[in-house]
Amino acid sequence: MAILEPSSVLRRSPLNRRHLQSHGLFKKVGENLLVEHYANEDGTFEEYKQAQVLAICDLCTLPRIGFKGAGALAWLKSQNITLPELPNTAAQQNNAGLAAKLSEQEVLILSDVFALNQDVNNLSTKADIEHQDCDQKTYVLPRGDSHCWLAVTGMKAAEMFSKICAVDLRGHKFSVGSVAQTSVAKTNAVVIRNDLGSIPCFYILSDISGTEFLWDCLLDAMVEYKGYPVGINALHRLIAEK
Amino acid sequence: MKLLPCPLNGLRNISEFTYGGEYHPMPDHRASSTRDWAEHVFFHDNAAGIVTEWWCHTASSFWFLAERNTITDEIIRTFKADEIYQHRVEFEALAPGNDS
Repeated sequence: MAILEPSSVLRRSPLNRRHLQSHGLFKKVGENLLVEHYANEDGTFEEYKQAQVLAICDLCTLPRIGFKGAGALAWLKSQNITLPELPNTAAQQNNAGLAAKLSEQEVLILSDVFALNQDVNNLSTKADIEHQDCDQKTYVLPRGDSHCWLAVTGMKAAEMFSKICAVDLRGHKFSVGSVAQTSVAKTNAVVIRNDLGSIPCFYILSDISGTEFLWDCLLDAMVEYKGYPVGINALHRLIAEK
Repeated sequence: MKLLPCPLNGLRNISEFTYGGEYHPMPDHRASSTRDWAEHVFFHDNAAGIVTEWWCHTASSFWFLAERNTITDEIIRTFKADEIYQHRVEFEALAPGNDS
């Protein structure tokens, strides 16, 4: 099998250098290049076990988009997006994606981690056509360009977050579908709880220009619990074996 | 760490917020002078007692209002701006030469 090089695709993760330093092996997930696993003999199984305890995974190249404005919610409903009722909550979509309501007029849409469908990309194309006129009151936010997307998984994740985030992310306080817009490692971030199988998983979306900083801060906080980066295969396996 | 209740995000550390200055009702832009505008934009009362202030939760860029006692630093309440601003304010352009 040919080895995939990140330089062969148009969109690379802002963490590309970190992955190359860690000898990451890449694979295509949909149209996107992600780390499959990091180099070692039985990488996927070892990382799958690690993801159950504490691990971090880079999802920066997966599709995501945001919408804001007085007409945003109504337009998204007309596109068959299931919206959560309250701000700061997220709703699972039929296509396994996620829609997080960040305020009464703002929604963030994430693709599923298998990137099996083109729904987010289609939504983006459709929105660009339908909302060129500002009077429509729906504004498209290019979240794939503005925000990084990381996943922190494992039973120790909430405990690790207590060192760098003031919001209590333990299961009984921050259930599946909860959203917190807060400070993580002194960086503004959106934290979304979206468990993979039975394992706690927190998506973190933060300013893309500070991705390497945030990645390093999270790795530093994870050292105490022996957490380390894993590839997308580990996350896929968590979902498959729920 | 001081805490501030954000109307959107709930109780958060004060380090997540940015102060946005005193709230003053906006003068009627069609009937006010440049002096009135300067007063509104730049001048603060700096009153001792309960005042209304703009605050922003920086992690969500959410602007809201807070009633705070500047003597005791007690937060009386916080509320969304739409409690005051019910309608969009339209600013029609003035006729050329009319700078009042």
